Amino acid sequence: MHIPDGFLSTPVWITLDLAAVPAVAWAARKAQADLESPGGTTGANTDDRRIPLLGVMGAFVFAAQMINFPVGLGTSGHLVGGALLAIALGPATAATVMTAVLILQAFLLQDGGVMALGANILNMAVAGVMMGYLPYRLWGRGKTRQAAIFLGGFFSVAISAALALGELMVSGAPLSHRLVVISGTLFVIGALIEGAITVAAVRAIERLNAGWVRPAEPVRMRSIVLAAVGAIALIGFGIVLASKAPDALESALSLRSEVNAALLDKNWSRELHRALAGLSGMVILYACLMMLARWFGRQRSA
Amino acid sequence: MASALRHASVERWSRGSSPLHRVDARAKLIALLVFLTAVATTSKHAPWIYAAFFVLLGSAIFLARLPVMAMLARAALVLPFSAVFAAMTWWAGDFPTAAVLVAKSFLSILAALTLAASTPWVRLLDALAFLRVPRPLLLVIQFLARYLFVVGNQVAHMRLAAQARGGIGKSSLSGFHAAAGAVGVLFARSWERADGIYKAMLARGFTGRFPAPQVAPFLARDVAFLCAAVFVTVAVRFAL
Repeated sequence: MHIPDGFLSTPVWITLDLAAVPAVAWAARKAQADLESPGGTTGANTDDRRIPLLGVMGAFVFAAQMINFPVGLGTSGHLVGGALLAIALGPATAATVMTAVLILQAFLLQDGGVMALGANILNMAVAGVMMGYLPYRLWGRGKTRQAAIFLGGFFSVAISAALALGELMVSGAPLSHRLVVISGTLFVIGALIEGAITVAAVRAIERLNAGWVRPAEPVRMRSIVLAAVGAIALIGFGIVLASKAPDALESALSLRSEVNAALLDKNWSRELHRALAGLSGMVILYACLMMLARWFGRQRSA
Repeated sequence: MASALRHASVERWSRGSSPLHRVDARAKLIALLVFLTAVATTSKHAPWIYAAFFVLLGSAIFLARLPVMAMLARAALVLPFSAVFAAMTWWAGDFPTAAVLVAKSFLSILAALTLAASTPWVRLLDALAFLRVPRPLLLVIQFLARYLFVVGNQVAHMRLAAQARGGIGKSSLSGFHAAAGAVGVLFARSWERADGIYKAMLARGFTGRFPAPQVAPFLARDVAFLCAAVFVTVAVRFAL
């Protein structure tokens, strides 16, 4: 799911790189504040004490991906880890660790492009981690806990894949509807596997030490959080479904022309382009407002 | 993790001492970003520009005295991915776009590889700090890179130990739970390792803050390299 350079069109990668900057800055700052334990040794506001933990957890993600999970039919899958980290360490810390993993991969291992880094960070470290955490945040207490962890694993992989696919489509990659259906099916299977692995891994970690997994905090403003979940899910799956629908209709009406399908694809990619441009504008605006609000908050408290 | 193991050769290359290795990492990083932007924005109707970019990159690799064939093979890892998309585009009747997709992805990965193979990774991270990547994030990446092989080897040992005991079951529920248990143990050991690292840091006088990195001066040589690289790249992009 790492997008290499050369696949995204220039407006797409520029927009996503710009959008990734405030997201990463916010996560990095929040991660430090989150892991701050009261009564620190220096009393300073930002302490570097947790940095070794974050770094070693990044190495843990790499290494855990080497462990094969038999998933039937003689095949095996492996953990991706966004949801597991989010549930165990909290979303901001998990997003920071995953961002570190992606930067390392892009610059040192050439896994994923340098210009596509913003896209990969938003897909996997931001959207993947947030969607991995939200079900746990909402339903992570009591009877629904296992289901929430499963959903977290499922959504974290599903949203990353859907966003990557959507970004490639908007960039004009020639994805026929058949290919979208095939890759969509594979992504859903992968997401189901990730959900099952996340549940089993969280259970195994808790058996060793229940204190390692952060309990889900009680939810304030449940409806707002729910709306946010719904919106993000709609955006992700909407992009893929919307681009699939006209082709599906086309093939239902007549099976004749690849040419027509290609034409429709082009129209749709233009529509999607416009939609995504508007959407990213909104995201950037939202991020600016958030930062402004935080700045005002700090001014007042100072 | 396989990609992490591949990194061993790149790290060996990065410790060389060629003219390109001696250039300041910041200059090389900015040159890379300019080059990647130029490649990304080049139109599909100008094949000569791509050829010129290959020559430009080839001269950088030559300047760095890097093994050309090994570098090309390493960069070719992106080709299966781009070949699939290129084949689909070609099939849809658009050969120029297909060719450009392969050229762009290969040029980009080769350029990023040239930077990684001519710059020690610690210098590369310092250069990212120059681009205002948050410092805590860079420190996390440093720890990540240092412990990548330590934790990776731990998995290899755990796998060997499991095989010595008859292996974990294949395609069965018990095998799945055994693998989950392995992830749990790995998490526990990583957590404890991080704790141990922190205590060792305290024992060596860690005060809660990392010292600021020492910034090497930007020499005339670096300025000259940066100007030349940017000028040639921009010239190729617009003049040809």
